[in-house]
Amino acid sequence: MADLQDDLRPTTAAGGLDDLAGPYPEEAVVAAESYEPVSDPDDEPLTRAHAILAAHPVADGYNGLPWALKRLSSYDLELGESIVDTDVPRLRSGHVGVLFWSLHLPEGLDGDRAVGATLEQLDLAKSVVRTCDEGLRPACTAGQVADARNCGRVAVLLGPAGASAVGDSLGILRQLHVLGLRVLTLTGVSWASEAGLTRFGEEVVREMNRLGVIADLSGASPQTVRRVLSLSRVPVLCSRSAARAIRPHPANLPDDLLAELGAAKGLCLVPLTAEQTGPTVRDVADHLEHIREVAGAHCVGLSGTYDSGAAHPQELGDISCYPQLIAELLRRDWDEADVALLTWGNVQRVLRGADFTARAAQQRREQSTATIAELDG
Amino acid sequence: MTSGEAARELLREFPVVDGHNDLPWALREQVRYDLDARDITADQSAHLHTDLPRLRAGGVGAQFWSVYVRTDAPDPVAATLEQIDCVRQLLTRHPEDLRPALTAADMEAARREGRIASLMGAEGGHSIANSLGTLRGLYGLGVRYLTLTHNDNVDWADSATDEPRAGGLTAFGREVVREMNRLGMLVDLSHVAATTMRDALDASSAPVIFSHSSARAVCDHPRNIPDDVLERLPANGGIAMVTFVPKFVLQAAVEWTAAADENMRAHGFHHLDTTPEAMKVHRAFEERHPRPVATVATVADHLDHMREVAGVDHLGIGGDYDGTAFTPDGLDDVSGYPNLIAELLDRGWSKADLTKLTWKNAVRVLDAAEDVARALQETRSPSHARIEDLDG
Repeated sequence: MADLQDDLRPTTAAGGLDDLAGPYPEEAVVAAESYEPVSDPDDEPLTRAHAILAAHPVADGYNGLPWALKRLSSYDLELGESIVDTDVPRLRSGHVGVLFWSLHLPEGLDGDRAVGATLEQLDLAKSVVRTCDEGLRPACTAGQVADARNCGRVAVLLGPAGASAVGDSLGILRQLHVLGLRVLTLTGVSWASEAGLTRFGEEVVREMNRLGVIADLSGASPQTVRRVLSLSRVPVLCSRSAARAIRPHPANLPDDLLAELGAAKGLCLVPLTAEQTGPTVRDVADHLEHIREVAGAHCVGLSGTYDSGAAHPQELGDISCYPQLIAELLRRDWDEADVALLTWGNVQRVLRGADFTARAAQQRREQSTATIAELDG
Repeated sequence: MTSGEAARELLREFPVVDGHNDLPWALREQVRYDLDARDITADQSAHLHTDLPRLRAGGVGAQFWSVYVRTDAPDPVAATLEQIDCVRQLLTRHPEDLRPALTAADMEAARREGRIASLMGAEGGHSIANSLGTLRGLYGLGVRYLTLTHNDNVDWADSATDEPRAGGLTAFGREVVREMNRLGMLVDLSHVAATTMRDALDASSAPVIFSHSSARAVCDHPRNIPDDVLERLPANGGIAMVTFVPKFVLQAAVEWTAAADENMRAHGFHHLDTTPEAMKVHRAFEERHPRPVATVATVADHLDHMREVAGVDHLGIGGDYDGTAFTPDGLDDVSGYPNLIAELLDRGWSKADLTKLTWKNAVRVLDAAEDVARALQETRSPSHARIEDLDG
């Protein structure tokens, strides 16, 4: 029951509510020291990959399944659905334990249409989960993720949504959170733009911390990234960012930002897309190694980006392919502890940190009634 | 015991379920949700019809808080979410007095605890932006009724106060009603055209409500309910919650309002204009033509008629406080309900009838809607119908 213990850890630190030493509880970070191997080092890498993934499944930071299903008149995810890249049999072959479902909207939706479309996206995601309750289970907190895993279900978390979803209003942010939103991407709005965060943008981040909504900084400007890193009391994540030192792409992170992200214990989730990481498994492994080196083993994770329209590297064509990627890392002499952090541990740490900070903040901080008109004029 | 004392005693046991109160809108418009600026634990009679002491004095035990937004708002969905956030903030701030309620069982629990069950109703189909997904989102946030229209038509339903267009409900409108039945969200037929009322009664497999409407036979105004529709409530199981708004319930006030509006338009103003110049024109009119005043008896006349036509099991109360500029004498604010109950006692209404009017009928309707929803969910999945597919 390692998960249950993991889940309890942050609560034991709750004695010091008023002076949290860091932006979030530190102790989860040192878990690797007590790591107990689960695979036989003499086995083939692929065999070992399956053994490790069985114990430390993949928390996949970005998946677009609900919208890929929209064009189908009927589907059966439990039996398998070859038109999409994600279904229950392949989630099981790929040892996936957590899926983040993207709520990103088509380009050009803003204002009320963005808010309404986000409500529709949340509704659609929930209805897909309901049609598949043998395989999937909705989850909001780290504890619910652990529960889902203990029941043999893949936990589905809702997000990231684009910042336009909150309609420039903290009240709307709160209602989207009530409906299950867990991650918000801070780009493409007046208060989180190329110029960085405005005062209202800062208030949004504080309110996200209070609610437990995690900031996603993939695609955000360096100014926004740096301001959120210093402001957020919860580790942030980049839902789809690889290393720009290896492959230039606007959403890939340069080394200086990777180092700052690592220092803030944030998380860089590497997308398995040919465009951002390159056409082969080895290319993806190169990014993972580079980010581990620059940001640290505690700051790297995976984001399959399946069913989002992206082309994937060879051998990583659908969500069942994670063992091939992990085998490649084992061939490069990654130790098991680092693999376990990459697939599962790091995302759990961030989720637990967000839950912990929200519980603590709600004791101390009223919900914010600030408006964009007041703060940004 | 005076009838006033008897009314208060009755309300202590079976308090009022009020179908419509616009406090959230008043808080949005007056102070942009600065709830410290309108602390409802204190007397707010200088600004509002509603505060906690007066709700308590009025014997209110359950309130559907309206999360109304204007039909001409550029962002109706976003604004509706902000209104919902306002209600949630009120609930967070006043847990001793207000109890979040989503079901009939929650309402009964609130009554046992001596708290005011707080439910939400959305006032107008514009709040769902032609989307059943958005409708389900509002349900998920706790909204338990949707008024199909406000003062203007929506694409799928005609309003009582707009030019007929759909002739009632369109195919998509009927799908909205069916989806509301499946969810357990009450179909509210206040504000809609009589054609829409009839279509919705045909389409709905759950009891409907009129959250704030009175009887057209007593006062001929399109916001009121025609007798043929009232007559259908027993078969449907629903309720008509009588409203107090003078310009809907008093014939003289209907005519006075029409003349006042015409006067405004003759001076080049929109009839709802509240700018200083417009108000000056309005005050001059009011000096020449004193405003007719409705009373408790005016409202009781409606209830007498509605009881006659629909039956005592199909009545309720929906004051529309903080949603109307004027109120009847004796029903000036949310503390006034005991005066209405006393008037009805004086007219010979039995205690059993009055407890149905105040509490039992409304709870029964929500309970029945939940039963219908549970049954429908066994056989029907969420509808993903789109207006462009059904209405072309």
